[in-house]
Amino acid sequence: MSLSEFVGQLDALLEAAIEAFNLAHTEDALEEARISFLGAKSGRLKTVQKQMGSVAADDRKAAGQRLNEVKQLVQDAFEAACARVQSQSGGTAQPAIDHSLPGIAAPRGHLHPLTQTINELKEIMGRLGFEVAEGPEVEDERHNFDALNIPAEHPARDPLDNFYVNVGPAVPMLLRSQTSTVQIRVMESRPWPIRIISLGRVYRPDTADATHYPMFHQMEGLLIDRHVTMADLKSVLRMFASSYLGADVHVRFRPSFFPFTEPSVEADFWWNGNWVEFGGAGMVDPNVLSAVGYDPEEVSGFAFGLGIERLCMRRHNVTDIREFYRNDVRFLQQF
Amino acid sequence: MIVSWNWLQDYVDLAMSPDELALRLAMAGLNHESTTDIGDDVAIDIEITSNRPDCLGHIGIAREVAVLWQLPLQVPNPQPPHGNSPVSELVRVRVEAPELCPRYTARLLRNVTVGPSPSWLVDRLNAIGVASINNVVDATNYVLMECGQPLHAFDYDKVKGGQIVVRHARKGEKLVAIDHRTYELDESMCVIADASSPVALAGVMGGADSEVSETTTNILIESADFAPLSVRTTARLLRLHSPSSYRFERGVDDQGIDWASRRCCELILQIAGGELADGCVDVVAVPRPTVVPVTLRYHTLKRILGIDVPPAKVEQILTALGLHQVQHDKSSITVSIPSWRRDLTREADLVEEVARVYGYDQIPEDVGVSMVSSRRSDADRAGAVLRDCLIGLGFDEAYTTSVVSKEWSDAFHAWTTAPALTVGTAMLRGADHLRRSLLPSLLAAKQSNEAAGNSRIELFETARVYLAEPNGLPQEPTMLGIVSGRGFFEVKGAILSLLQALHVGAKLKTEDFEDPFFTAGQCCRLTLAGNRFGFLGHVSDNAKGRFSVRSDTVVAELRIDQLLRHAVLIPQYLPESTFPAIRRELNLIVPESVRWSQLEETIQQAGGDLLSQVDYLETYRDPQKDGPDKKRILFSFTLRSDQRTLTSEEAELVTTQVVDVCRNDHQAVLLG
Repeated sequence: MSLSEFVGQLDALLEAAIEAFNLAHTEDALEEARISFLGAKSGRLKTVQKQMGSVAADDRKAAGQRLNEVKQLVQDAFEAACARVQSQSGGTAQPAIDHSLPGIAAPRGHLHPLTQTINELKEIMGRLGFEVAEGPEVEDERHNFDALNIPAEHPARDPLDNFYVNVGPAVPMLLRSQTSTVQIRVMESRPWPIRIISLGRVYRPDTADATHYPMFHQMEGLLIDRHVTMADLKSVLRMFASSYLGADVHVRFRPSFFPFTEPSVEADFWWNGNWVEFGGAGMVDPNVLSAVGYDPEEVSGFAFGLGIERLCMRRHNVTDIREFYRNDVRFLQQF
Repeated sequence: MIVSWNWLQDYVDLAMSPDELALRLAMAGLNHESTTDIGDDVAIDIEITSNRPDCLGHIGIAREVAVLWQLPLQVPNPQPPHGNSPVSELVRVRVEAPELCPRYTARLLRNVTVGPSPSWLVDRLNAIGVASINNVVDATNYVLMECGQPLHAFDYDKVKGGQIVVRHARKGEKLVAIDHRTYELDESMCVIADASSPVALAGVMGGADSEVSETTTNILIESADFAPLSVRTTARLLRLHSPSSYRFERGVDDQGIDWASRRCCELILQIAGGELADGCVDVVAVPRPTVVPVTLRYHTLKRILGIDVPPAKVEQILTALGLHQVQHDKSSITVSIPSWRRDLTREADLVEEVARVYGYDQIPEDVGVSMVSSRRSDADRAGAVLRDCLIGLGFDEAYTTSVVSKEWSDAFHAWTTAPALTVGTAMLRGADHLRRSLLPSLLAAKQSNEAAGNSRIELFETARVYLAEPNGLPQEPTMLGIVSGRGFFEVKGAILSLLQALHVGAKLKTEDFEDPFFTAGQCCRLTLAGNRFGFLGHVSDNAKGRFSVRSDTVVAELRIDQLLRHAVLIPQYLPESTFPAIRRELNLIVPESVRWSQLEETIQQAGGDLLSQVDYLETYRDPQKDGPDKKRILFSFTLRSDQRTLTSEEAELVTTQVVDVCRNDHQAVLLG
């Protein structure tokens, strides 16, 4: 074979290879073209190379040079094609995803159901104009009893029914047994009108069972102004209940007894065909108003209180109050 | 209080059904518990609030029924026939403790035949759940349940000397009660004694010795008034609660005392025979204060209830309740108060009486309550941001109790050197210490979750701790407690996220801290703007062991008030620089003792006004190249001007300055 014939074959091969690589748009097609031209056993380059022996000895050096040049050019063309195909397919080709596999969750925490209930109560009462007031959990007897019209001999003051702090000869104090203490502190510290709620922990030495716990949460509301009547109380409770339950709700009063209100009532809501107990309420007792320096002839007011756990239990169908304080994350993560 | 339907009929005509009765009573303040058929009778269980002891007997309930249905009430007027021997010659009563026993009466029945009660009596007691004992005891119980006045029948022949002494118990005195258990008495208790020793615990329980038995023939009937507080204390101390003590605790009707005594004697004569001695020994140790008439102004009714009640209706209601009009004009009514309604002393009390009988359903539920503005407190807003942020960081919110055991209380209390406050009554499982930190409670919550086999246990709680003050009420700062299975720096990072969420500008700093609760060298105290802010660290093996916590635990406790002080709830806009930033990384070899906080402060100062940000990247150690006790700190800083584009010469100048100052201050050597 003459040198020119050999070189002619090489040039034709180079042209064909470049075209084949350019036409390959997938990795598979490219691989096929690579084997066809650059394949180690029977690639076309290999076939041409084998014919070099038939070139005249004097021309072999020039033939070899050209062979290497073409080899390099084909290789370059192949790599350029590879880069092109890869950039087109966005990298190494991957199998299609199984989009039914689970997502990777970012850990998300949970608000305690009592906090969620408290937030809701605050929000509703806020819309009705009630601001949140706070007070200490360890209280003196004046705020927990005396000013609330609970005299010294009243059974509610029995040391066995309260968590009195061991203070030696100092002024007696106890863990508050109701959030009404905050009412007294607020009324003592500012003139009427007053429109507040207080929420927080209260303490009574009950044996823990499915419906009792020695620590629980209460919300108390207080409204003091001129011309405040029981009709206002009923209307506010109805607005509260309608907001909370999301429908027009009716309110019923049953007479009850609390030292710090007179008249005192239990309030019920008509909901789903039943009267549901809401909590205690009443008109602030004149003795309470006097105790904080208000004139009961000038102003009147109402107060109401409810147990937050009970409300939360009913809302979320929790049947045991102790669940709230077990802090089992399986429980907490349900809310 | 359980009432028998048939029994009630003795005093008032019941034209309504038991269900109607129960509902109407409930709407007037006598809450309905349950209704049960018992034979041909119906037992209605009614809850009586503590201000209404007058309703702790059938007559009281019948009176309410009569008022609500406007029916006549028939109350018997017992006039038992008596013999000639005057009781004062047979029974002597001395009240030595007038403060415990304002009044004591005694009657004497002789030649009584103790035996079974007639069936009508057994049935009535049975209907209200009272077991029949014998005709005499049943008679006392019957009258108790009829009018609410407790009575006691003594075997007169067992009362030595025919003498009744009402006195304080003496220290060490004992009494075998009719439950045949022996009670040790103390001086706070009131006893009925004979000439030598106690025969009954006043108002609480009788003694076995003087109990009426089959062989008893002469009976002393006690009808008295005992001080509520003393009866309550005694009943509680001895755990001896009875229908009698229940009624004395709430106060009995002073004028019903003699009525009950006569009624009881009449009944005994009727069913057990015998003869009643003439008269009654009646010792009034402390006369009852005179009951003062009370005035109700009609405008007060309107002012409190929000509705008008016609004056004629008011008068009718009060009269039916036994409050008789003593004065009346256009604007008010003044009434006398019957002895059984000692709860009525003020105008407000009459307002309630009128309202509950007139009916709360008359009060509208749709009046226009005036609108006022209300503002959510900063504490509430910040608290919500704080909780939302913690939720986002993957923490679940816990609620743990405020009162803990001594062991938990002692486990960690770095917030105060003052001892924990304790309560006289334990809360749960002997817990009587007001907690000074949330961390022990949270560690215990982690343990219970581990025990339950739960995996991701990341908890936080916001609650108060109680730090004793030398005088007065304790401080109650609200804390944020965190218990986590993450690493120290991840929890620190969570704290930094909280600061960012609240836009706290003040700098969080750490200080060395040691406490057995934490692993040495793996914890710190946190400060915010120089104030004590919190604690953070790995829980020590020892503390983990005491709480039976198995896995590695990092905890933190922060003072929320400090967070609130520096929180910015309404962030203000600052224009961002429009000029490009230049970022440089530096790798410094510094002695092991140099802390990042020191280095950072130096860099901040050296960097001057152009320095906008310094970021720590990593620390590594290569003792072979750098020598012992050295570490390499890699960090970057960003330079930016809000006035111009910085040149690379300016950047080089700052870099050189930073390196120089770090070399001078911290023996830092620039690497590479």
